[in-house]
Amino acid sequence: MAYSDKVVDHYNNPRNVGTLDKSSAEVGTGLVGAPECGDVMRLQIRVNPETQVIEEAKFKTFGCGSAIASSSLATEWIKGRTVEDALEIKNTDIVKELSLPPVKIHCSVLAEDAIRAAIGDWKKKNGVAETATAEAKA
Amino acid sequence: MLKVIDSAVPVACWSCSVAHNDATLFCPHCSKIQPPPGSDFFSVFGLAPRLNLDLPELEHEFHRLSRKLHPDRFARAGENEKQWSLADTALLNDAYRTLKDPIHRTEYLLKLHGAEIGEEHSGKDRKDPSRVPADLLEEVFELNMQLEEMRMERATGEPDPELQASLEQAKRKFDGLLDEVDQDLRAQWQAWDEGDIAVRQAAQKTMVALLDRRRYLSNLVRDVTETLGV
Repeated sequence: MAYSDKVVDHYNNPRNVGTLDKSSAEVGTGLVGAPECGDVMRLQIRVNPETQVIEEAKFKTFGCGSAIASSSLATEWIKGRTVEDALEIKNTDIVKELSLPPVKIHCSVLAEDAIRAAIGDWKKKNGVAETATAEAKA
Repeated sequence: MLKVIDSAVPVACWSCSVAHNDATLFCPHCSKIQPPPGSDFFSVFGLAPRLNLDLPELEHEFHRLSRKLHPDRFARAGENEKQWSLADTALLNDAYRTLKDPIHRTEYLLKLHGAEIGEEHSGKDRKDPSRVPADLLEEVFELNMQLEEMRMERATGEPDPELQASLEQAKRKFDGLLDEVDQDLRAQWQAWDEGDIAVRQAAQKTMVALLDRRRYLSNLVRDVTETLGV
């Protein structure tokens, strides 16, 4: 199976690889795994407490090229967005952008899960209830 | 495409026209070779789909059918029969390779029954948190970090003996966990083979979760073994 050019690009030059301070209140950490292939992905965000904008995003993924590319792309996309905005990113957007084949769709699901997990962790740390923000939005 | 064979649906033999069970490689009436049946691997061996298999018997049947299907025996047969002997042999080999391995057999049987396993899994029911062995994630991640460190140290010079020891310890631990999973899987086989619908469904769910866990563990053991070069 051939990877698309975009996957190869992200794989060779992954953006935002690294670690943020897990103990910081401004940092949310999401650690997720794909049972299909045994991949693990850690995605971290640093959120500005005033504006709720994700100012920094880092990831570390152990897995196939598609999993690395999906998480690399995810960090690029969420940077500069507000937390609520970042939750709008769907795995299908990642599939489209990277032209992932059907057998690799779970990599994009993993990236979406990682975003949600990181944001969920940040909300928990900062006492932001999931339902409260959903209501505020509606 | 996988499907559970409905042996009640008969197919007419191309040669003698007598109806036979679709899974048969040879017509029970005239003994002529049949085109590859679109049936499951168990039926190829005339077996009911079960997880506890008599392996010596399976091997014996594999050798018997392999001999009967050998292309040399069809050297003077018609073009169709020649083709079928090759196609049936390929099917028989696939079936044997899958059924003789306990993990492949379990995965195959669960897939026959609609479970989504492995890379084909599109991730739709991933929202079910029981599918992800959360307790393992932290450990898996940490170990992967250590492995990466080890590889980098190898590439630049001498690896840290402490890191090496820690990885060796991790390998022993994960080997042990892998054994546990395999034992747990075997315990479910009997429940699946002999249980009613409800017991089967519970066993199926447990086995899918165990296989997910196993994939993590076996990937780890493979990576650690590769990095340590042991």
